[in-house]
Amino acid sequence: MHMTRYVVRQLASFIPVLFVIITLTFFLVRLAPGGPFSSEKALSAEALAQINAHYNLDAPLWRQYVDYLAGLARGDLGPSMKQPSRSVSEWIAYKFPASLELGLYGLLFALCVGLPAGILAAWRPNTWTDQLPMALAMAGICIPNFVLGPLLVYVFSLRLQWLPVAQWDGFAHKILPAVTLGAVYAAYIARLSRAALLDVLSQDFIRTARAKGLSEPRVVLRHALRGGLQPVVSFLGPAAAGIITGSFVVENIFRVPGLGTEFVKAAMNRDYTMILGTVLFFAVLIMLFNLAVDVVQAWLDPRLRHG
Amino acid sequence: MDSRAEVGAIDARALLTQAEKGASLWSDAGRRLAKNRLAVAGVVVLACVFVFAAIGPFASPYSYDGQDRENRFAPPSGAHWFGTDNLGRDLLVRTMVGGRVSLMVGLAATAVSLVIGVLYGATAGFVGGRLDQAMMRVVDVLYTLPFTIFAIILVTYSGQSIVLVFVAIGAVEWLTMARIVRGQIMSLREKEFVDAAVVMGLSRRRILLRHLIPNALGPIIVFVTLTVPRVMLLEAFLSYLGLGVQAPMSSWGSLIREGTLAMEEYPWLLIFPSLALSLTLFSLNFLGDGLRDALDPRSSKD
Amino acid sequence: MGGDMTASAERLLRVEGLRTSFHTREGVLRAVDDLSFTVDQGRTLGIVGESGSGKSVAMLSLLGLIPMPPGRIEGGRALFGGRDLLRCTARELRRVRGREISMIFQDPMTALNPFMTIGAQLTEPLTVHEGIGRRAARGRAIAALEEVGIQDAEERLRSYPHEFSGGMRQRVMIAMALITRPRLLIADEPTTALDVTVQAQILELIRRLQGELGMAVVLITHDLGVVAAVCEDVVVMYAGRALESASAVGLFAQPRHPYTSALLASLPTLRGRGAELYTIPGMPPDLTEPRAGCPFAPRCEHAAEICGASPVLEETAPGHWTACVRVQRGELPVEALRVAGEDEGLRAP
Repeated sequence: MHMTRYVVRQLASFIPVLFVIITLTFFLVRLAPGGPFSSEKALSAEALAQINAHYNLDAPLWRQYVDYLAGLARGDLGPSMKQPSRSVSEWIAYKFPASLELGLYGLLFALCVGLPAGILAAWRPNTWTDQLPMALAMAGICIPNFVLGPLLVYVFSLRLQWLPVAQWDGFAHKILPAVTLGAVYAAYIARLSRAALLDVLSQDFIRTARAKGLSEPRVVLRHALRGGLQPVVSFLGPAAAGIITGSFVVENIFRVPGLGTEFVKAAMNRDYTMILGTVLFFAVLIMLFNLAVDVVQAWLDPRLRHG
Repeated sequence: MDSRAEVGAIDARALLTQAEKGASLWSDAGRRLAKNRLAVAGVVVLACVFVFAAIGPFASPYSYDGQDRENRFAPPSGAHWFGTDNLGRDLLVRTMVGGRVSLMVGLAATAVSLVIGVLYGATAGFVGGRLDQAMMRVVDVLYTLPFTIFAIILVTYSGQSIVLVFVAIGAVEWLTMARIVRGQIMSLREKEFVDAAVVMGLSRRRILLRHLIPNALGPIIVFVTLTVPRVMLLEAFLSYLGLGVQAPMSSWGSLIREGTLAMEEYPWLLIFPSLALSLTLFSLNFLGDGLRDALDPRSSKD
Repeated sequence: MGGDMTASAERLLRVEGLRTSFHTREGVLRAVDDLSFTVDQGRTLGIVGESGSGKSVAMLSLLGLIPMPPGRIEGGRALFGGRDLLRCTARELRRVRGREISMIFQDPMTALNPFMTIGAQLTEPLTVHEGIGRRAARGRAIAALEEVGIQDAEERLRSYPHEFSGGMRQRVMIAMALITRPRLLIADEPTTALDVTVQAQILELIRRLQGELGMAVVLITHDLGVVAAVCEDVVVMYAGRALESASAVGLFAQPRHPYTSALLASLPTLRGRGAELYTIPGMPPDLTEPRAGCPFAPRCEHAAEICGASPVLEETAPGHWTACVRVQRGELPVEALRVAGEDEGLRAP
């Protein structure tokens, strides 16, 4: 009951934030020098005027802004200015699935590696089962993905020839990109879950659980893990958003036909509508992830559920 | 009544000196830090990297943009310790100069985020009430913005000016700083020595600058040492995408990009800049972790 | 040894020469130093001492609940049901914990897992130790809650700890500890964190259930009033050692150790209104410092040169054991020790 009301209220609060984002991006993009067609010198003055008229670029800026908002209200993100074969919505629908898939694999990798590593480390702190995973986690944080990616390609594709490179079909092609993308998040998750578990394990109710005669695995997995998961879950919101929207570099290294690459291209080409559309789309995604995290957190912690 | 105030002031003075006894906490922390081998190694490596980047280029016979068509893709040798790139430029010098850019961006952007974050967070935390709520609501909203994306837009539109890279990155990173500082100030505000300072009639400004911020310094320093590597990473990321530093200037990110393009035949082009960046990031992170352990007595007993 | 007076009662737990220390960066802290005591079937032993006197550590040591490292059990025996608890394997000890010996803790606000329902936590000892089915466990859990006086027990199984008050949580803790019908309950300051009115209810509850279940209780407390209210035997601890051991009646009637008498004298409830409160001068010793002799000597108003020798518990009156060399030698007449004032001061809180 409480939760539904909370979700609805949060969803409503998205609208003003999205409005701020749109406005900010719109004017940021428009007021900067250059435009989508300014670099195409081959165009005659008439042709340019025609194009500008076609994309409503000859109207006063405030008019363009109002028109854009009106389009948004109808759910229309407009046509792409530099790649007019598709509308912005169609481009997003066309390119996003690859980014999403990459992101999900990356997140899956991060969780499947990071969480067990964190639990293992917290199990016997300051022994080698703690220090080894933590050293690896430090490496994961300090080796940027644009170093890790080429390194993995070099070792596993070029030298060992275990995995193919630079295509995007079939599961085997997706392993290296997913690992590259997820590594740093696995590292953060391992560190976070270790710290949180150690914190929980030092609390009174863990002593109670031990006094009841429970086995150590049961104490950790049943009594401590739920509390230890909290910071990991709250990290997952920004992490998921970051993974899915921030895969620019990984898409670039592995030539993934994703939305990240498309966005960087749009930014460099001053493809106004495409930039705005993708920013808006990413912003909505991030907000939805954060909301999902809130909900999961309330489910994990009964104190939040009723409060 | 007078004598009462007097007694209060004496008590207050005692409490204040107690607050300033924080000094012994710092020397304790210093001792703990010195015992942390990884953190010490981090400091040493950082010093070396700093010298390497700042002074190194002067000691080299080559310049970062001097091309040598005869010597393209030369492997590491006595003449070119790190080898040369596709235009025959000496990679050692380019790595040193790239280090300047990376370190400068790291420090400057962190400084920007520090100033904004500390002032914003301290004001919110100290004033409290409605203003605090409004200010933190703004931070919450900003948190949901896709900042990497904004950084990309800013950088592409700024004509790839380094100054704007600083500003863009600094503007991204101040939010967490503001939250940390606010949290610290809020909890310190409740402490007795602040009451003591109020009793002594110090101005709010003075209390904030002389007593609260110094006492919140520990977490701030830790966060700074952990922000610098993140910022350097973001710069490298932008440069890697071709959005940051432009040729013939180099930064570690742009060198790594060039390296990946040629890594099959000329792996040294990838290895040396990657090593420089990762080593620096390792050192900063170890130092940051070490500082946190040293400054937080709770975490130091094991 | 406190139980020697009732030689007929069956001995449940016999602890001899227990020594527990913590190896920290600041040095070795000897938290429990050569502690011996016994608990008889169905009786209540109070272990009294200031905070840091090692009473909790001693009990946690018996159950293997000391964090190791830095904790370490250096020596001693703890005979319980034919076994030495200190030499049990982790697995054997787990079968004792929560089944034969249960423990409840000081702060009921933090001792229950906030992420699990009361029902899940209550039934856990049953599923772990008795391997009974979910439905049967549920039935026992409801009965256990009703036993400790919680209304709507069935409903309450689905609640979380934060939905209970402090006193109710301690009742839940007790229900959970007793659900397996242990032979010994260790209660570590069970009322310290509670309101005064609730304290009496909880003590009364423990006493009632003890009678019904016929179990023994070790009650750790710093409150002599609590001891007077519910304990039959008393051990007074100081700096990790037992200084005096007697029946509660014997101890309150005539303390035979200067520390005990000082403790009694500093009880505010025992003094008349307006009288100045007695405080023991000085501070408890630093347990990381190596020391010889009586640990209380530096603060003792009756200390003499002889107190430099290490005292051991000796029976100085029938059933009354004292670790004071001067009392043992008869140098210090026990009448000189402050006797607790008017008896009506010894009421339960």
